[in-house]
Amino acid sequence: MKKLSIIAVWVMAAGLWSCSDVRRKQRATYMPDMFYSRALETYTPIDTLHKQGINYNRMPVPGTVKRGELFPFELGPDKPGEETNYQASKQIKNPLPPLNEAQMKEAERLYLVNCGICHGTALDGNGPLYKGGDGPYPVAPANLIGQEMYQNMPEGQMFYSVTYGKGQMGSYASQLSTTQRWMVIHYIKAQQAAGAKGAAKTQAGSQTTGTGQSGTTIDTTNKQ
Amino acid sequence: MIDQTPIARKAFLSALIIVVLSFGNKLVAQNGKALFQENCARCHNLTKDMVGPKMEGIQDRVPDRELLKAWIKNSTDVIASGNEYFNDLFKRYNNTPMPPFTHFTDADLEALVDYITTPPPAPKVEGGGSAPVEEQDNSILYGILTLILAVVALIMLQVNSSLKKLSDDKEGIPAQEPIPFWRNKSYIALLTVILFIVGGYYVVKGAINMGRHHDYQPEQPIYYSHKVHAGTNQINCLYCHNGAYEGKQANIPSVNVCMNCHISITEYNGEKLYREDGTEVDGTAEIQKIFAAAGYDPQTKQYTGKGKEIEWVRIHNLPDHVYFNHSQHTKVGGVQCQTCHGDINNMHEVRQFSDLSMGWCVNCHRTTGVKFDGKDGNEFYSIYEKYHNEIKAGTRDSVTVSDIGGLDCQKCHY
Repeated sequence: MKKLSIIAVWVMAAGLWSCSDVRRKQRATYMPDMFYSRALETYTPIDTLHKQGINYNRMPVPGTVKRGELFPFELGPDKPGEETNYQASKQIKNPLPPLNEAQMKEAERLYLVNCGICHGTALDGNGPLYKGGDGPYPVAPANLIGQEMYQNMPEGQMFYSVTYGKGQMGSYASQLSTTQRWMVIHYIKAQQAAGAKGAAKTQAGSQTTGTGQSGTTIDTTNKQ
Repeated sequence: MIDQTPIARKAFLSALIIVVLSFGNKLVAQNGKALFQENCARCHNLTKDMVGPKMEGIQDRVPDRELLKAWIKNSTDVIASGNEYFNDLFKRYNNTPMPPFTHFTDADLEALVDYITTPPPAPKVEGGGSAPVEEQDNSILYGILTLILAVVALIMLQVNSSLKKLSDDKEGIPAQEPIPFWRNKSYIALLTVILFIVGGYYVVKGAINMGRHHDYQPEQPIYYSHKVHAGTNQINCLYCHNGAYEGKQANIPSVNVCMNCHISITEYNGEKLYREDGTEVDGTAEIQKIFAAAGYDPQTKQYTGKGKEIEWVRIHNLPDHVYFNHSQHTKVGGVQCQTCHGDINNMHEVRQFSDLSMGWCVNCHRTTGVKFDGKDGNEFYSIYEKYHNEIKAGTRDSVTVSDIGGLDCQKCHY
């Protein structure tokens, strides 16, 4: 009787202990060779390939361009402390024609995903990471809509900064394709033009007209 | 008496001047903060070296106020004048010049220098962040209760049999040799049935769950909290997992994506973090692991080129014989990440939310409606409508497989 109850207590304790809901190990798999690919898939470790004499490094072949993609940016990154290419990038124009409504919506999406976190959804340099100095980000992101420097920044120079990084900002070339980066710049220029006109709120209609005007602002800055 | 009046007057005047000045200073210092935020904060932080050096302790490094003002106004002039400290500084920061601020008036400069030479107020000490309240787990209580009840029932049975024996003795009915319960046939039969049902249940459940990994929550090489990033700081899922919108795989971000922000955010000051086993996480030490992986030296702010891949543990995995494409669901279908991955922005450590079983997929495909038209409609389906109308109008007699994309290469070659 006594023995029984002691055993029962131990069994229950073991049962409870094993019921921890944190599962650090995967469950067993029925026929693992059908579950886990024998062929190389994304995220398959490739460090063994080299030992087998197979040359594969996951990088695109130098000099190749993805189908449907714009040609890569003609300027390389500056050496530390130099600014020649950064200055030269002022002359480069946006190779994309003005965006239509659907494309502008996509550009806005790209901006909000990748840039809005620091530069703010309103482009005011006050995204959730900075929050007027209360966020974790220690330096103020560029205010794209209020400051003359960014208002008048040529598209090519913006593209240079997005591609290679500038100041504390890193390169976004791995997250946004060449086309997407030019689209985002179209969007920023359209927003800046809309902001300068006084129509602060974003509207699809005003965006498309704004794009045409952004072209003219670039022309004037280039002449200056 | 004659002498005292001017002294009193002087004292009063100087007191007045001091009061006025100190008020003025206060106003100016606030102004300085605004100026700093507007013009300097993009490269300078008060307490940390960023693109430019930190402001803390600048009064010790550059005791000469006028020199500091000249530097802010036009740094290249100061470098040209051969000042040793500033030339060293310039070299230390890769010869990156500080842009000139010639539009600053003298009052602006005074205010700014006042602001940056005033030590920043000590950061608010977080209120200890009391340890998370242990969730009340009632199962132990229920277990103990069940045990007590079972013991009571057993005792009652025992008492019952003893009483029966006593009354039998009294009435003179000869006591039968009691059969021990382990040889009692009805007991054995009952136990067998119970064992069969319980055992069968667990065997079937275990067999079904083979190859399904819901609740899988492996320990990752770096304690990366999705709650801090996607929840508190509102970073979009696609910022790191941009592949989820573009293609088949959702992308585990490479370390350069981490460095976009963490080149600046070098320490963690948020609320305290705890692992699943209750140990506390040192967020700042976890950020240092990114630097090690990226081959970045936070002291010199240079990449050493000696990085190492972070071997994240993949959680969501479909069997090899299942084809799954993220963009088909997110971009085309408009499904939210949370539908399949659960409340990611409230998970510190990610846990597999769905079991990713075929039944789970099929159930969702049974209930999810296709958006044919409207604002978020899918234009693709208009082709069916067109064929339908053509057949009705008699201009088309049939729709072949090739008409609905049957000749696309990837229908067979994927």
